[in-house]
Amino acid sequence: MATNVIMPALELAQETGKLLRWIKAPGDTVRKGEPIAEIETDKVTIELEAPASGVLSAVTAQEGDVVPVGHTIAQIAAPNEAATRSPQGRGQGEGPEAPAPDSRPKASPLARKVAEEHGVDLARVKTASGKIEKADVLAFVESQRVVAAPTNGSAGRLVAASPKARRLAAERGIDLRALKGSGPGGAVLTLDVPAATAPSTTPPLPSPQKGEGGGVGTVWRIMAERMTASWTSAPHFYLVREVNVTRLVAWLDKARKQTGAHVTYTDLLVKLVAATLAQHPRVNVSWKDGALERHADINIGLAVALEDGLVVPVLHKADTLGLKEIATRREDLVARAQSGKLRPADIQGGVFTISNLGMYGVDAFSAIVNPPQAAILAVGRITDRVVPVNGQPAVQPTMVLTLSCDHRALDGARGAQFLGALADLVEEPLALLV
Amino acid sequence: MGERELTYGDAVKEAIAEEMRRDPRVFIIGEDIAEAGHPFKTLVGLVQEFGTERVIDTPISEPGYAGIGVGAAMTGMRPVVDVMFGDFITLTMDQMVNQAAKAHYMSGGKIKVPIVFRTTLGATRRSAAQHSQSLHAWVSHIPGLKVALPSGPYEAKGLMKTAIRDDSPVVIFEDKMMYRMKGPVPEGDYTIPFGVAEVKRAGKDITIVATSSMVGVALGAAKMLEDAGISAEVIDPRTTWPLDKQALIESAKKTSRALVVDEGYERYGVTAEMAAVIAEGAFYYLDAPVKRMGAMDVPVPFSPVLEDLTVPSEKTVFEAARTLCRK
Repeated sequence: MATNVIMPALELAQETGKLLRWIKAPGDTVRKGEPIAEIETDKVTIELEAPASGVLSAVTAQEGDVVPVGHTIAQIAAPNEAATRSPQGRGQGEGPEAPAPDSRPKASPLARKVAEEHGVDLARVKTASGKIEKADVLAFVESQRVVAAPTNGSAGRLVAASPKARRLAAERGIDLRALKGSGPGGAVLTLDVPAATAPSTTPPLPSPQKGEGGGVGTVWRIMAERMTASWTSAPHFYLVREVNVTRLVAWLDKARKQTGAHVTYTDLLVKLVAATLAQHPRVNVSWKDGALERHADINIGLAVALEDGLVVPVLHKADTLGLKEIATRREDLVARAQSGKLRPADIQGGVFTISNLGMYGVDAFSAIVNPPQAAILAVGRITDRVVPVNGQPAVQPTMVLTLSCDHRALDGARGAQFLGALADLVEEPLALLV
Repeated sequence: MGERELTYGDAVKEAIAEEMRRDPRVFIIGEDIAEAGHPFKTLVGLVQEFGTERVIDTPISEPGYAGIGVGAAMTGMRPVVDVMFGDFITLTMDQMVNQAAKAHYMSGGKIKVPIVFRTTLGATRRSAAQHSQSLHAWVSHIPGLKVALPSGPYEAKGLMKTAIRDDSPVVIFEDKMMYRMKGPVPEGDYTIPFGVAEVKRAGKDITIVATSSMVGVALGAAKMLEDAGISAEVIDPRTTWPLDKQALIESAKKTSRALVVDEGYERYGVTAEMAAVIAEGAFYYLDAPVKRMGAMDVPVPFSPVLEDLTVPSEKTVFEAARTLCRK
């Protein structure tokens, strides 16, 4: 009996699923529970597991196809059974072709039993004599296993890699699955791991091209790798302050009039963060090779969302820039980020990042530190909130600032001192002049 | 003055003779060692200098004279017990393992057993299955015993002198195929410390740990590897116990690959222990599985053609190393 592979419904309201990639090719022997394809819904990407053991056949959905939930996209033909032509075909009266009795492979009973156990289609086992014995089946299973290994890095097992290659990849923040292994069975060896690139100075240049690596562009892949590296190597802690922004709001208004530039809250925060960093050089550091590395310049990165991922262009020496210059440079950087025209220098050398999701109505969030930086400031929206003033409830515009810190580079006290000073400046920007 | 050369056998004899002159408590006991000068002719002339009181011939009676040796050591002598073939340690095992190795510990340190068991290992002498084994793994397994494997004439003299002066029981395995091998051996007194490995050849692509005669095999293979563009580091641990673990680990960390070559049976062998030491200590630096090469898991065949196949050779070591380096 062939088993249908259907597009699964993973969410209540899901109507369709997109077939991202076939992990197995038609004719491949699959075992029940083994991933055979990657499916993407609106929200998630999952691996579709084989519903039965057998041979993948009658594949109707191509990579990139959007298929209604419940529709058959392939079949798993039982071992020893020729696949039916196609699921649709059946409805049109082309019944499954029953194999003629004499076309059955000549196999020993033991070989048949072993083939069944391993989900092997005996028709695919070729021998010189035409007769199939147990050893032939096992050899076939082995050959399939070796062929499958390089692409089969997702079956819940570790990607095959030498211990050294695994360590180097982890140290360099590289996903082993993205590498092509040259070792036995596709194992990743040291020579397959790209040489270390110092993340602070030479991240790979983001390029706008899409469609690489199963629909994910370079920008997205780099984002994924760097965030994974940060999350798995930098112990995070978070400090949260709600600040009164009455003065900040007033300052924005004045700044726009005075400069004639389209100054944003982000620009104001760049200015304030740069000033605070200048007062707190202990935050302007990176954890590197077991020691604190101090940075001379105050280069502030801005998290910029693009259609295909996140980039962080950098305002260099932000503490030396006027508001108008900050606004002009920020506009230029964002425009070039969106058109994929950032130069390497634009994304290098950042020491601190600001991520502002206020425009999306987010009240507060906790960001992931952008390695090798020590901290990132997550900025929520400005809105009226009830706050106690002299024992009475009052309504004031406030904003929640969340400072995420790498605990290897900062401790709670250093982070809190920095955030406290920043909060004071946000609440009274005039202090900049002091 | 040019370097003096001695054969491996003469280096052993010189070490024993020097120690016998130096310390009247030292004597040697075994089969055919006096008038016959040992079946491998390694002790010729010894009885003439020291007499039959200190160079003692015994009947074929390994368990008996090994016991005499252990008792003599317990009572203050420093015996060298000669076991002609390493295969015969089957007969001396109780004296070695249950008596010599345990007495110091079980007496709370009151009894010392400063004994040396001198025996052989090595195949390809056409001596068949009962006279060709390399059984040093057996005694390396036992706490309380030290085990030395001299890889050349220089080591043969230096390690023997260290063994005789050591207050613990020591088993020295000499490869019977190396007795005529010549090499520089300093005149006069020197010792080689136990538990200190020697880098015989520096390299950067693969570590070959080799013992006894396999050191020469490994060095030959290293030369072939060099021609193939692979730089091999050859390390001689010199003693399987105490074992210089750090030297093995550091070398493997440097090269990322390791091959362990020893003439004992591969399964449950000396190679397995050393490979495990490397795997544990250098795991995150390894780019390939640690490979063992020992004697094939068969009784050593009498047929010369077959016998040669059972032990590692320059060619097989070369090929295994090249495969590990994927070149």
